[in-house]
Amino acid sequence: MEDDSIEKLKAENARLKEELRREHESFLRSLADFDNYRKRIERERAITALEGKREMVLSLLNVLDDFEHALKHIDDSPASVAAGLHAIQRRMMRLVEEQGVTPFESVGHPFDPALHEAVVSEESDEEEPGTVLDELSRGYLWGDSLLRPARVRVAR
Amino acid sequence: MAKAVGIDLGTTNSVVAVMEGGKPTVVVNNEGSRITPSVVAYTKTGERLVGQLAKRQAVLNPENTIYSAKRFIGRRYAEVQSEIKNVPYKVLAGPNDAVRFEVQGKLIAPEEVSAQILRKLVDDAAKYLGEKVTDVVITTPAYFNDAQRQATKDAGKIAGLNVLRIINEPTAAALAYGLDKKANETILVFDLGGGTFDVSILEVGDGVFEVKATSGDTHLGGDDFDKRIVDWLAEQFLRDQGIDLRKDRQALQRLTEAAEKAKIELSSVVETNLSLPFITADASGPKHLEYKLTRAKFDQLTADLVERCVGPVKQALSDAKLTERDIDEVVLVGGATRTPSVQALVRRLTGGKEPNQSVNPDEVVAIGAAIQAGVLAGEVKDVVLLDVTPLSLGVETLGGVMTRLIERNTTIPVRKTEVFSTAEDNQTAVDIHALQGERELARDNRTLGHFRLEGIRPASRGLPQVEVTFDIDANGILTVTARDKETAREQKITISGSTQLAKEEIDRMVVDAQQHADEDRRRREEVEARNNADSIAYQVERRLEELGDRMPVNEKARAEQLISEIRQLVKQESSEIDRVRRLSSDLQQLSYGLASTAASQAAAGGTGGSSAAGGDDVIDAEFRQNK
Repeated sequence: MEDDSIEKLKAENARLKEELRREHESFLRSLADFDNYRKRIERERAITALEGKREMVLSLLNVLDDFEHALKHIDDSPASVAAGLHAIQRRMMRLVEEQGVTPFESVGHPFDPALHEAVVSEESDEEEPGTVLDELSRGYLWGDSLLRPARVRVAR
Repeated sequence: MAKAVGIDLGTTNSVVAVMEGGKPTVVVNNEGSRITPSVVAYTKTGERLVGQLAKRQAVLNPENTIYSAKRFIGRRYAEVQSEIKNVPYKVLAGPNDAVRFEVQGKLIAPEEVSAQILRKLVDDAAKYLGEKVTDVVITTPAYFNDAQRQATKDAGKIAGLNVLRIINEPTAAALAYGLDKKANETILVFDLGGGTFDVSILEVGDGVFEVKATSGDTHLGGDDFDKRIVDWLAEQFLRDQGIDLRKDRQALQRLTEAAEKAKIELSSVVETNLSLPFITADASGPKHLEYKLTRAKFDQLTADLVERCVGPVKQALSDAKLTERDIDEVVLVGGATRTPSVQALVRRLTGGKEPNQSVNPDEVVAIGAAIQAGVLAGEVKDVVLLDVTPLSLGVETLGGVMTRLIERNTTIPVRKTEVFSTAEDNQTAVDIHALQGERELARDNRTLGHFRLEGIRPASRGLPQVEVTFDIDANGILTVTARDKETAREQKITISGSTQLAKEEIDRMVVDAQQHADEDRRRREEVEARNNADSIAYQVERRLEELGDRMPVNEKARAEQLISEIRQLVKQESSEIDRVRRLSSDLQQLSYGLASTAASQAAAGGTGGSSAAGGDDVIDAEFRQNK
């Protein structure tokens, strides 16, 4: 009789030990997750502050694009209008640069998917295949990283 | 510690999610995005590009840029003839009629392409998490056959991963909503993605999902909706300006982007403006596109697309031998399900049921996969859902206000301690009145319990230190303890059920607090002003006692008068907050004067109530009323 209950207790003990081990493991994992999460939050904190601006800056770039398009047709307008548009564009550009955004040159450079998005390819007599012929919209960097790739036409 | 992740390996885009501390999180890739295009490109220079970068050069390298590999994985060459027509890269038959892509003279299997994508997804995830990732759960459509599933698993192996399991996309979505907890329920998963539409009927019981039926349309998705807007814009423009914008690559690009943006906007507003200045030019000069698109018009343009969703839903129900009334839960997957007309259709087809859509429909499958990965990796025995305390908890403090210790929606178990003190001199007991609610005044909140801590050594008010601790355990049982730091005497009460409140009750109290917010704030300010005034009066009184005769008579009289006025206002619980503040300020000024008087008289400063006036309460915490 007694042996029986001792056996039962031993089994229960073993079971409890195992459960404890599992719970402890679970606890440690949670701690670790929490710790990692905290570390990541620290890293992301800086990024998040920028994320909010990012959307806004990107939409400003759309307006800058509109200016580029407008200025392509500048010959059709009176000189004063042309001057006015140029002025507004420069002003807009400065606003954006103040946020740490910089345009980069793509024309004449070899196509690089890390910086450019190819919209169309074209035969070219002058340029080597794989060279950017012209920009359909400008590319911008934010600090060191890419904010918006340049949309380009590439020589075939 | 290596992590297990869940991967939604989609036709157009892929998403990765992982469990962290019991909660699923979507992983951000190297380019800073939560989605990664399922595209792999082989460049002339021998480079292999995956994701966004591959997509950017697709136009230059169409024969070697593989996308939609999922349409080919695990299938036989004979089966995919119609798909081949849609892609610019070469698809050939390999051994045993397997599908192969011919890229730069080499034959590549769809598994290898998917492996590249998986590799990038996992590498980015490891970087993002700062941990190794080796174990994965990958999702596939419910209609995938054995060959397709095996091929997907092989892709994982090729990528060097340990595929814990392949689970069905609709099942993953249901998991994300915790529907595995349901017993004997029927779930309809409506998945309208970028390019494919899938309907699945699942039955769940004992945590196991069974697929009863599937149906869909492999070429119907959000992209089709975009195209309708593009065509409409182009047609209008052609009619108004005589130019077909679709013929100009760049203009078409701008149109497509504007169309996508408009579509998204129309999910929340009823009309939007599409404005593309200088979209093109002809002999007569530059041309601008400026059109207004209403939701009604958009619905009209896409009505037939929405209608195409009806057939598969009905088919699936019929195959499962069910009717709309048998559906217990509806789950929406895929960005296109945000479209109002699509949601209206879903409601119509499911008997008016409210669909589950609180989880981002673009991410829900990955999230479900992550949950499964967590369970399989043994991180979570079963999904632990942490409870929260639904309403703020605190105690009543001087002036009848509630001082919060635990904010509402704090995850439990939790424990918070604050130090309080006495409100009167020689107060030997404190009353702890535990409260629950969002109002500023104690009486407007719910009483949880009352008790007293006695035996506090007589001292000036504000000196004794009483630690009050609110401790809620994992079962939601609240223990409130008050402990006198000096005597180590302690009293406590236990309250159960404080986290179990009916949702209506909680909502009512929150709304109530919001409605009374201004009024409550004003009342609290009054209390604080009175408390502050009282505190200054007390200090100055003490000072007067210390200084005794050394104080100039007229100043003493003035001080006593101010003190008396303040005491009166406090006793009456006056709401003349400006007057109270003014008196406080006057008395404060006076006390500064006293300080310099005392200093200039080089009087031995007494112990209590030391140097500068005002903020010298020492104890930052509030005072307790003596009952």
